[in-house]
Amino acid sequence: MPRVTIDGREVEVPPGTTVLEAARGLGKDVPHYCWHPGLSVAGNCRICLVEVQGMRGTQISCNLPCADGMVVQTGSEAARRARADVMELLLINHPLDCPICDQAGECKLQEYSFELGAGASRFDVPKNHKRKRVEFSDRVVFDAERCIVCTRCVRFTQEITGNGELTVVARGDRCEIDTAPGKTMTGNYQMNVIDICPVGALTSADFRFRSRVWFMEQKRTVCSSCSRGCNVLAGTRWNRVLRLVPAENLHVNRWWMCDRGRLEIRDPAAPDRLASARLLRDGRPADADAGEVLAAVAGALRDAKAEGGAGLFGLVSARLTTEECWLARRLLRGFAGSPNLDWKPRALEADGFLMTADGNPNAAGARAAGIAPSAGGFGLDGFRAAAESGRVRWAVLVGEDLDDRPEDLAVLGRIPFVALIGARESATAGRAVAVLPGATWAEKDGTLVNGEGRVQRVRAVVRGPGAARPESRILLDLLAAVGAPGVPAPGASAGAVFKAMAAEVPGFEGMTLAGLGDLGLPLGSRAAAGAKA
Amino acid sequence: MTGLPVPPEHRVLLEGVGVRDVKSLAGYRTRRGYEGLARALKMAPAEVTAEVARANVRGRGGAGFPAGRKWGFVPKGSGKPVYLACNADESEPGTFKDRQIMELVPHLLIEGCLVACRAIGAKVGYIYVRGEYPLSIRVLEEALEEARAANLVGKGILGSDFDCDLWVHTGAGAYICGEETGLLSSLEGGRGYPRIKPPFPAIEGLWRCPTIINNVETLACAAVVLRDGADAFLKMGTPDTPGTRIYGVSGHVERPGWFEFETSVTLRQLIAAAGGVWKGRALKAVIPGGSSVPVLGAREIDVACDFGSVAKAGSLMGSAGVIVMDETTCMVDALLNLMEFYHHESCGQCTPCREGTGWLAKLVRRIEEGGGRPGDVDLLASVAEAVGGAAAGKTICFLADSAVMPTRSFVQKFRPEFEAHVAGGGCPSRKAAVHA
Repeated sequence: MPRVTIDGREVEVPPGTTVLEAARGLGKDVPHYCWHPGLSVAGNCRICLVEVQGMRGTQISCNLPCADGMVVQTGSEAARRARADVMELLLINHPLDCPICDQAGECKLQEYSFELGAGASRFDVPKNHKRKRVEFSDRVVFDAERCIVCTRCVRFTQEITGNGELTVVARGDRCEIDTAPGKTMTGNYQMNVIDICPVGALTSADFRFRSRVWFMEQKRTVCSSCSRGCNVLAGTRWNRVLRLVPAENLHVNRWWMCDRGRLEIRDPAAPDRLASARLLRDGRPADADAGEVLAAVAGALRDAKAEGGAGLFGLVSARLTTEECWLARRLLRGFAGSPNLDWKPRALEADGFLMTADGNPNAAGARAAGIAPSAGGFGLDGFRAAAESGRVRWAVLVGEDLDDRPEDLAVLGRIPFVALIGARESATAGRAVAVLPGATWAEKDGTLVNGEGRVQRVRAVVRGPGAARPESRILLDLLAAVGAPGVPAPGASAGAVFKAMAAEVPGFEGMTLAGLGDLGLPLGSRAAAGAKA
Repeated sequence: MTGLPVPPEHRVLLEGVGVRDVKSLAGYRTRRGYEGLARALKMAPAEVTAEVARANVRGRGGAGFPAGRKWGFVPKGSGKPVYLACNADESEPGTFKDRQIMELVPHLLIEGCLVACRAIGAKVGYIYVRGEYPLSIRVLEEALEEARAANLVGKGILGSDFDCDLWVHTGAGAYICGEETGLLSSLEGGRGYPRIKPPFPAIEGLWRCPTIINNVETLACAAVVLRDGADAFLKMGTPDTPGTRIYGVSGHVERPGWFEFETSVTLRQLIAAAGGVWKGRALKAVIPGGSSVPVLGAREIDVACDFGSVAKAGSLMGSAGVIVMDETTCMVDALLNLMEFYHHESCGQCTPCREGTGWLAKLVRRIEEGGGRPGDVDLLASVAEAVGGAAAGKTICFLADSAVMPTRSFVQKFRPEFEAHVAGGGCPSRKAAVHA
């Protein structure tokens, strides 16, 4: 294994490692535009120049393999001067329209200008002009004047989606990125080219001009639109999610995510949100005090328990966090004794890349938490027959509705007490005796287990409307109201709820919420550590 | 210039041209055509490489890299096919030597390709011919047909176990496809983008297989070396650059054209051979090796036209395209012509070249057309240094340097002319032309 010295620090690296990668390993980010860890090396932007002892001039570090004994200076005078020359040339024809550019604030041109740029421009001849506001599709908008032709987007379509939809046309300082004549970008991964564009050339039709990025708060969380569990950064402002972009996780989504995931951001304040608790009075839903509704649900659960629990059906969404699934099980089975628990499947068409066939983000977590019919009980498939026979006297739906299953929806009328805890208005909610407003994926802290069994954290990035609260909070209140033993008290922290859940649910042994880190952990991976502790 | 003793041309590569038929296969055989190939087929491939290495055949495309050494870079036992790519994309302004070989003695190139393929173990060779050379393409194709019919190309060549096919590929008009790795990208059907190194083409070239790229004249020399032996080749020219070269003399001379001389010929002799500076005018400047190289002044032409001597004189022998400029030439205008060419031909991959060639062209145009501002000449020189080029590691290929080197030398050697343009509001010769 070659040993190299970078800025005075010696490091041993696997053969084939480039100087840029070795420097990153040492925590030194050599400036780069065209280099991307997920794409082939193009070596065209020339900003990653470094000085190597014994080699003439400067070298691009992105394509220079580490050789044994190599001595590299990333910040020598020659390297800085060469980079400053490149920086100047990158900007001579650039429109410098940062005040109205979406990329401003997270633009590599700005970043390296700050580091390398001269205060004044020597370029006093007319700038070149190119096409602006070119719609590569209804999602991706291109500005050729801002483009530095690093070809990351071109390589993405060649190497990641393989459709080769983008290419470079023309030569020299006339060259531009383009689609084939008359064609647009297609497919579920177009918007990744916006993320990897190091400048403001590729912008999102959805996010364009919506906010200066520095006014947004960006938090790491997990996309809920399928069981892949892509790591994302949620950009929020005005208590709204304005943008989702992928966050690197080599175990899950690498640097990418699908367009469906990002475009399905639904405004937490959307008109279909449930914002107040309700009770059915005289056959009509009416707003009610949340405490009153909680008491009604708790009372129904005590009644169900008194009759042994067999008359209670619990539908617990596999979109909820694992902690919520566990709390629901503790309430509906542990306390009330229902053998009839289930979650609702959501089929998608897998696209062969990131999007899976499972539209539930946490089916694995729901399974692990024990959301399934137990011996003698029925699940969602047996629900209708059981309801029609009059055996179901209580139904509690947590984070779920039956609007897409009209025959199941129709039999709700036969059940004397239906409670729904959920985020959105639905026909199901309209038929519930008791409604408690819940939260969306963007409003809660907890964990999801993706289709490959990786436990990952979701984070509250916005607040729900009105009286809406995360299902975990509501379930903790209900557990306290019925006096169920051995569960965290209302108001317990997300970490405490996770800890209590992890102590009971197989696969979570030895895990803590904080210990999951940014990248999550596979189910069962801390079992040995847990045993030791 | 008159009265200067001009040595006789020494035609080796172009022997017989204009005297008898050497274009047809039968004609080529009258100059012992394909005897070099026959000899190579009796030698081990490594011996063929060694013979060319010993003859010190330096690359005639412009870089002067020894062909024999290059052939030795092909890795042994890679398990991949090996390719030869002949660079016949002759597009350096001022250069018109390769087309003489292709159009006048096409079999010499075919023989050179076969010798190289034999040496490097290639079964396929591509001749990438500039698209603007329709005659070269036609003549080569016809010669290849003849060679195939005579079992000189194809399976079991001349009864040996050597199989080799040669194909002519036509360029589409981009200068950058004459850059060896741009040529490979183009040959593969992609944009003519030069490639980052490593990997080097000898290791991973065409279709990621070991590939040797040689210029037309270089391969022609290799055929001659195999025919006559390295010792005979070493007797010609200078020790620095043995052999002859086909020099293209253009510009302000009485009889522009090609001349084959031993490399010991001087620039002054070449100009004399072309009839001297035209119209009885005095010489102002010479670009000795194609438009990319530094310009030489009238007092710098007593230099042998080999790689080493011209380098010592501060320029490069390059592709041996000698561009002569008389005393009336506006050097700013001449530089503008060059800058517009490189601006037009930059592939646009590397930032410094893509952006810098345009800036240089705009600056020179401003100075030439009367918009020059105080400090512009310094700015021009400084921008050229910022663009830097491959020697500074700033770009993938040498195109940026091809713009930088002339700029640097024009400003350095003819600075007062640039300053006068700035001070006087533009080009004096243009104004004179308007008022005449």
